[in-house]
Amino acid sequence: MRYLCLIYDDEKKWQGLSQKEQEAGIAEYGAFTESVKKNGHWIAAERLQPVHTATTVRIRNGKQSTTDGPYAETKEQLGGFYLINAKDLNDALQVASRIPSAKWGSVEVRPIWETTRP
Amino acid sequence: MKYLCLIYEDRVAGKTLPKADIEKAMKEYWAFEDSIKQSGHYLGSNALEGTETATTVRVRNGKISTTDGPFVETKEQLGGYYLIEAKDLNDAIQVAAQIPSARWGGVEVRPVHLYRRS
Repeated sequence: MRYLCLIYDDEKKWQGLSQKEQEAGIAEYGAFTESVKKNGHWIAAERLQPVHTATTVRIRNGKQSTTDGPYAETKEQLGGFYLINAKDLNDALQVASRIPSAKWGSVEVRPIWETTRP
Repeated sequence: MKYLCLIYEDRVAGKTLPKADIEKAMKEYWAFEDSIKQSGHYLGSNALEGTETATTVRVRNGKISTTDGPFVETKEQLGGYYLIEAKDLNDAIQVAAQIPSARWGGVEVRPVHLYRRS
């Protein structure tokens, strides 16, 4: 089964950290990524730029509208994701609990909707 | 530049649609996907199972806690994503505007953070 682990944490907190603390956080992420690559859980991952760089697009009656900012304003922001392979939900939750941000933010685990194209 | 297009739509309303409407929407998605594969924008995509299948994980003081449901409750839910390669934000917005759900939901476009690992 494939699962998407959505990482939510407080961008402002991260921005307020010293360079040394940020480097320690990045190193922790590096170690986590290495470990999930080794044990075969890893499929893909991306880190996103802060929500102030987000644009939300809608089409209504054929007309395109864009608004600055994310779709949802939240206290903790979507900061990135890991796409993983796991035996089942429990296995996925074990992996998600090792994502460094699970210690200071939240990780939402969602199964992928496996569609077969006709 | 890489951009993540996050698709938000009302999945609850989607469930009550007639089968023919769902099939029509799926066909639109396949056509969209073919077109962005041809144009070189496509990097990856996934559809997610409904938010009722989501689990949110946190680790506090070394203890794992899990709660059923998504991190954020919204009227329209994160239903999937496209990871695309685009020249710039405008190019990315043009692609996002072609995602079928932009007509009945919203698409958040976020640049991906690029960093070199030392």
